[in-house]
Amino acid sequence: MRKTPTLPGGQPARLVLLAAGTLLLPTPGAAAQIVASAQPGPAQTRPTASPQARATTTPSARPAAPTIPLRQLLGQWTRQYKAIIAYDSEVVGDKRVTAPAEGGPLEEKLSRALAEAGLSFKRLHPNNYVITPAGTSSVAAPMQDIVVAGRVVDGKGEALPGVTVVVEGTTIGASTGMEGEFSLKVPEGSTLVFSFVGYAKKEVPVTGATTALRISMSEDSQSLDDVVVVGYGTQRKGDVTGAIASFDAKNLNERPITRVDQALVGQLAGVQVKQTTGVPGKGFSVQVRGAGSITANNEPLYVLDGFPLEAAAQTAAGGFAAGSPLDNINPNDIENIEVLKDAAAAAIYGSRAANGVVLITTKKGRSGKPKFTLSGYTGVSEKVRGLDMLSTEEWIDRAAEIINAAWVASGPGRTASQTTAQRMAILGNNTLNPNLMIDERWYQPGRPGLVDIDWQKEGFRKGLAQNYQLGASGATDYVNYYVSGDYLKQQGIMIGLGYERYAARANVEVKVSPKFKLGLNLAPSYSIGRDPGIEGKDQQLHYLTFAIPLGEANVGLDANTGNNLPYAWGGRNSPIRVMEQTTGDTKTFRTLGTVYADYQLLPGLNLRSTLNIDNTDGNTKYYRPAAVSGSLGSRLASGYYNGYKKLTFVNENTLSYNKILREKHSLALLAGYSYNTTKIDGQRLTAANGFINQAVTTINGATTVSGTTDNYTTETRNVLISTFGRLQYAYDGKYLFSGSIRRDGSSRFGENDKFGVFPAASVGWRISQEKFMPKQDVLSELKLRGSVGFSGNNGIGDYSSIATLGTYTYSSGGALIPGQAPARINNPNLRWEKSRTFDVGLDFGLLENRITGSLDYYTKTSQDLLLNVPVAATAGFATQLTNIGEVLNKGWEVELSSRNFTGAFQWTTSLNLSHNENRVVHLGPGDAPILIRSDWEIENAILQVGQPLYSVYAIRTIGILSQADIDNKVARFGTESAGDPKYEDANGDGKIDANDRQVVGQPNPKYTWGITNNFRYKGFDLNILVQGQNGGSIYSLFGRAVDRTGVPYNENVLGLNRDRWRSADNPGAGARGKATASFGYTKTTDWLYSSDYFRVRQITLGYDLGLLLKQRIAQGARIYITAENFFGHDKYTGGYNPEAVNNSSGDGNFPVGVDYGGLPLAKTLTLGLNLTF
Amino acid sequence: MKKLSTLLLGLGLLAVSGCEKDLDQVPISSGSVPTFFQTADDFTQSLTSVYSALRYSTAGGYADRLMNLSETRSDNLYAVADIPGVRDWEPVNNFATTLASNVYINEAWATNYASIFRANTFLDQLATNGAVVDAATRTRYEAEAKFLRAFFYFDLVRYFGKVPVLDKPLSAAEAAKVGRSPVADVYKLIISDLQTAAAALPVSYTGSGNVFRATSGAAKTLLALVYMTRSGPTYGIEGPGLATNEYAQAAALLNQVIATNKYSLQANYANIFSYTNENNSEVIFDVQYISGGLNAGASFPGQLVSDDLFTTLKIPYSSGSPEARFASNNLISSYPAGDLRKNSSFILSYTNLTGYTEMRPTITKYLNPSLRGVTRFDWPINFIVFRYTDVLMMRAECILHGAGGTQADVDAIMNQVRTRAGLTGTVSGTTLPQLMEERRREFVGEGLRWHDLVREGLVLSTIAAWQAVDDVKKRMSPIQANFIIYPVPQNELTTVPGLYTQNPGY
Repeated sequence: MRKTPTLPGGQPARLVLLAAGTLLLPTPGAAAQIVASAQPGPAQTRPTASPQARATTTPSARPAAPTIPLRQLLGQWTRQYKAIIAYDSEVVGDKRVTAPAEGGPLEEKLSRALAEAGLSFKRLHPNNYVITPAGTSSVAAPMQDIVVAGRVVDGKGEALPGVTVVVEGTTIGASTGMEGEFSLKVPEGSTLVFSFVGYAKKEVPVTGATTALRISMSEDSQSLDDVVVVGYGTQRKGDVTGAIASFDAKNLNERPITRVDQALVGQLAGVQVKQTTGVPGKGFSVQVRGAGSITANNEPLYVLDGFPLEAAAQTAAGGFAAGSPLDNINPNDIENIEVLKDAAAAAIYGSRAANGVVLITTKKGRSGKPKFTLSGYTGVSEKVRGLDMLSTEEWIDRAAEIINAAWVASGPGRTASQTTAQRMAILGNNTLNPNLMIDERWYQPGRPGLVDIDWQKEGFRKGLAQNYQLGASGATDYVNYYVSGDYLKQQGIMIGLGYERYAARANVEVKVSPKFKLGLNLAPSYSIGRDPGIEGKDQQLHYLTFAIPLGEANVGLDANTGNNLPYAWGGRNSPIRVMEQTTGDTKTFRTLGTVYADYQLLPGLNLRSTLNIDNTDGNTKYYRPAAVSGSLGSRLASGYYNGYKKLTFVNENTLSYNKILREKHSLALLAGYSYNTTKIDGQRLTAANGFINQAVTTINGATTVSGTTDNYTTETRNVLISTFGRLQYAYDGKYLFSGSIRRDGSSRFGENDKFGVFPAASVGWRISQEKFMPKQDVLSELKLRGSVGFSGNNGIGDYSSIATLGTYTYSSGGALIPGQAPARINNPNLRWEKSRTFDVGLDFGLLENRITGSLDYYTKTSQDLLLNVPVAATAGFATQLTNIGEVLNKGWEVELSSRNFTGAFQWTTSLNLSHNENRVVHLGPGDAPILIRSDWEIENAILQVGQPLYSVYAIRTIGILSQADIDNKVARFGTESAGDPKYEDANGDGKIDANDRQVVGQPNPKYTWGITNNFRYKGFDLNILVQGQNGGSIYSLFGRAVDRTGVPYNENVLGLNRDRWRSADNPGAGARGKATASFGYTKTTDWLYSSDYFRVRQITLGYDLGLLLKQRIAQGARIYITAENFFGHDKYTGGYNPEAVNNSSGDGNFPVGVDYGGLPLAKTLTLGLNLTF
Repeated sequence: MKKLSTLLLGLGLLAVSGCEKDLDQVPISSGSVPTFFQTADDFTQSLTSVYSALRYSTAGGYADRLMNLSETRSDNLYAVADIPGVRDWEPVNNFATTLASNVYINEAWATNYASIFRANTFLDQLATNGAVVDAATRTRYEAEAKFLRAFFYFDLVRYFGKVPVLDKPLSAAEAAKVGRSPVADVYKLIISDLQTAAAALPVSYTGSGNVFRATSGAAKTLLALVYMTRSGPTYGIEGPGLATNEYAQAAALLNQVIATNKYSLQANYANIFSYTNENNSEVIFDVQYISGGLNAGASFPGQLVSDDLFTTLKIPYSSGSPEARFASNNLISSYPAGDLRKNSSFILSYTNLTGYTEMRPTITKYLNPSLRGVTRFDWPINFIVFRYTDVLMMRAECILHGAGGTQADVDAIMNQVRTRAGLTGTVSGTTLPQLMEERRREFVGEGLRWHDLVREGLVLSTIAAWQAVDDVKKRMSPIQANFIIYPVPQNELTTVPGLYTQNPGY
């Protein structure tokens, strides 16, 4: 794929950048003058034409052997040898040469081919050549009159060696040296054109002689000649026929990013990255093109440098039980990320590809001078927002209302005006019953003896973060290396939360011979996550939010800890003290290692074999001291120690063959075999009955350790064996075809269905390459793509097809006796979920690719869903795991990139917008709807044919009941009275009950979007990322917990309740009923919130210090400041974070997580510095 | 290099050929069905799992169900908190019509059927593969499993009336075709199973390792209770009563149990429930528990205890909610002065840590804080399902319904029970209501009250009278005949649409 930018002034487009950088120098016929300023010194050197080059052959005298356009050959070599070959398009023209033999050193081949074409070449640097007409000599041009010298750097101020510098309209040119330096003699008033692969071309007018010209080149992510990583190989972006979203991660060290998944937020169309937790170091949830599975995994497969790493499904409680594949990975090691979205791209990964595949490539050394980088940042985070709860006065008002009503209802002759003393006297026991009596200090001036407590203010804090990185990389003819070390320390935004990471990586590739490469990637890492138990039901954020906003003054934040009692009107162990004193440390040591060998058997035929190991040892120590547990007199410490060891071993062997036949037929074949096994060992020890003393917090200090429920070791193992193949074919760079097939055998599935086959095919048509396309400047690139394919989802637990035995012990006379029975129904036919994806896409470039973009439309039909179908209880079990049901996801995606300004002031915009809708097509037998059991009253989620997955199913609240309503026999729930919520009698049967639920929302957003704007001016750069989503809703159990009907006085409630119904004369705002609701509760739309939000995810302002620094100190230096999440808005008034997932909904068969108290996002201000030496 | 490539290629091929057998992975940390039911021990363990179903899971199972659905439903508890509306047992207490989605109702249905499935699986396997078990044991095992199956069905019929009857394990698809059978048909299987059990089970076992097993005494007691329950009035609903008048059959069975001379009354009422006197002479059948974090402890002792009382008793528990299931005034005032059962069944009042004195009594009959296990769901005390006092009083009940025996027999039983309770003087001319009131005091907290009232046709009048006096907070719905049985769980109706019809009144 070529792009043909127009030179200013409307000249015909002739500057062409090839795959890895072939430059066409427009020559006005003058003798080309190449001046190299490469070290040692700017002396003009003669072209080192080889003897063969002198033995010229005229272009017309074509040999009989098959020929190939020289231009094509040069492009091929630039990719093959990762070389830069600059040439003049008129010099190369349409010359053809004999197709050379594969292999051998580049220079040898160049010599031979160029000699045949009557040309010669000059080596500017290792792997950097300029093609010249044969016999060209470096004759000084008379027009040269001034010397312009300077340095070319990239956006980060790092030197760019190998940049081609030419004088516009001439062939005078040079290439930059190791330090990015160049020196040219140029005619005064001319314009210098700087070009480099992957960077936007830059034109600089020469205003006078200088030796300190500093040119900053910005990366050009639009280049269609970029190589895209696809499964088991690479492909030119222009040849891609599947739906692939690319994320260039090279600049991640310009942002304070702590995780790879964090970097993807808002960046890619069709890839929804949800920050489901605020606990530092925890994985995000990634979803590609919606959720296709109901109960199996919806996370994509991660492939790290070719090493497939399965993501376990997020657990029902949010988070990843045995870690996320992205845990502990230093984002600064990442070179780029590709997300394979459709089956055509992903199906080569077969039974694990249905949720998309995320290919992550880590950095490698670049040829040139070894590069040493040092960077670091420090930042401070705090919560984006809190939750509006009743103030102390408002809580008192509500508590008194409830207590007085309870008093009045407790017996005849009791009135609200009776004092606490009078009430005690009436009850005759002379003691305080907080259910029936208020604290009279509430209404005394200054509330003597009491103190107001803003628990949120006490619990949230400003957290500091710091990160330091060291890296070295480089490449020689024999070794390519990238080595890095990283240290990150992060404090959470709430007391007790923290994360520390030590990570290192070494990517080394040795070229043993021209045919044989051997490589080793090794990435050990160690992290400590600290979480005293913040998120989820009955965890500290939950307690802290509803803790009543006052307490005894002499106890304050020590309420119900140590020797202190709780405040009589309510109080758990002070969440502040719990968070301060509880240890919840998870230590993870992970080693990722890959050894590979690549051997060229024949020209074009390569055998590659890899051995990969991912070993994770994770363990958690939890200890909560007695002082902050239980209640006075029965405070017992609690603790456990658990851990897991996860070992994934993958061996993959591939044969690949690349061939260009008869010039126009480009063929790539791949065949492979893969063996994949994962073994997880789990262990746990739990203290019972507290600890012997406070000094020992490890389990040996526990009073007892007994029982098998909380103390165990377990092991599971799975095996996946696969064979796969792929054919990629292109005709004349216009007609593209790709087909792949994979056969997977998995131990997870039933004995009758161990193997599955996953074929896919795609086609592409580069319309813009057609001759019939008129020459014009508007449409520079146009490609139509289409694909269809099948992929699978094997994301269920190991052994799911087997009816395992459960242990159901009994006891006799005080002794345990063993009992066993089937724990589930077996299913020998259990097999993969199968997804069929259709994708139609259009890639385009406008105005010389100033604007590029792509559009995709897709449908993904997921069939044979692994569904725990509810069965009648009479069958002995609640559910049976079956392949049944079908879900359809369909949607479209738009990605647009635009270089709005390209001059001294540069502005680029990239935008992504995606729309996805899903609906259930089939369910279990008879398509009966499935209600998802809830641990909290009736179900509030439903799977129903024709509706989105996990639709919110609730009774609609339509107002507040008045006495007139009751007199008119308006439908009521149970014993509702005036002032209680009025519900919609959806089925019209005159009463409100579970049958009045209806679908009132869907959990997945319909639209997700992100916009990134980049500005550069002089040394400054500014990057702004805004992202958001629309069209989804949250049914919040946390909202319900802090806002349910009849919340007792000893909990605080949402601020919404300050305008509640108090009486017929004082009905409030109409949103909330009376505080004294006594009818119970059900699942209503009161706790349904829109999940729409937008966030200014980050604003980064950087400055290139290189402009100030002397070159000797550092080659490049950039300082930046980043503001994350400083602006934004969401509609989730019942919780802190609309994407939070931290608690099981209560149905283990349908692991849909819910928010039961997730942390708000952090807004972070970070100052960072990157140095290159 | 050529050698190297050959080597690599060779290695690759080796890998392809050698590993496919690795796809046959079997669970490492649990057994699996294909290897089960092959030895006699497998059958023993399978049968144990059916007994284990009696205590099903933490906070579930037969005893807890009695607390939640019988004791709470009855006039023994006024489970209406000062600050209402937070606990799932309040709708049970209040006769709410929204019970179809209540967790306790769901548990009663689902757990009993899961238990029946285990019994059916065992019986099915015993019939087809049971040859590995010796003949005598096989007969006994079958009788034990049938006793348990009848036990679970009887629990179902008392709570739900008509229920599906399955006498063998069915696949999900087959089970989805089995609708609710008439109550009489459910009884047919129960009686048949119990007759088999009563005939085949031994009077007693030897060894503490067999103390949990059902005896012929247990089977006969249950069968007698089944006859008596069937003999109760129909109330015009499809409930457990069929007015069959089978008191004579019941009395005969009870007399057989008495005639074994294996059982006797404990001299001291409190000793019956002592943690150190389990499996005593009064126990005919019980659910066995042990503590120690083995997932085999009892939760029922704390079912009726409030968070506040746990805290006051210094039982480690993070307290919070202001709710409790207190004994009703009517129950407390029914105890005559000097009745020892009152003090051993209740904590009558207590002062909590904040100094508040709670004057309303809590049933703490089974609670011994000093011998608790590792959590408040881990008590070591067994739950006595049938005890000899019950057998005697059931016999008295049959006699008052005209089965063989005299008023003197009835009065003798009454006096025996009352004397042990520390009451002086004797009673004579005991009427049925008096007998039932005595049962109320004797079996308080044992979950019998609701079933007793239903069986004797007293439930509507007794509850209505009690509500009028004790429901000062006016939060209960007036009792109706439809409330004698519970609704079919909503999610069963949803799972198999159209298979079951909902009970009237819900």
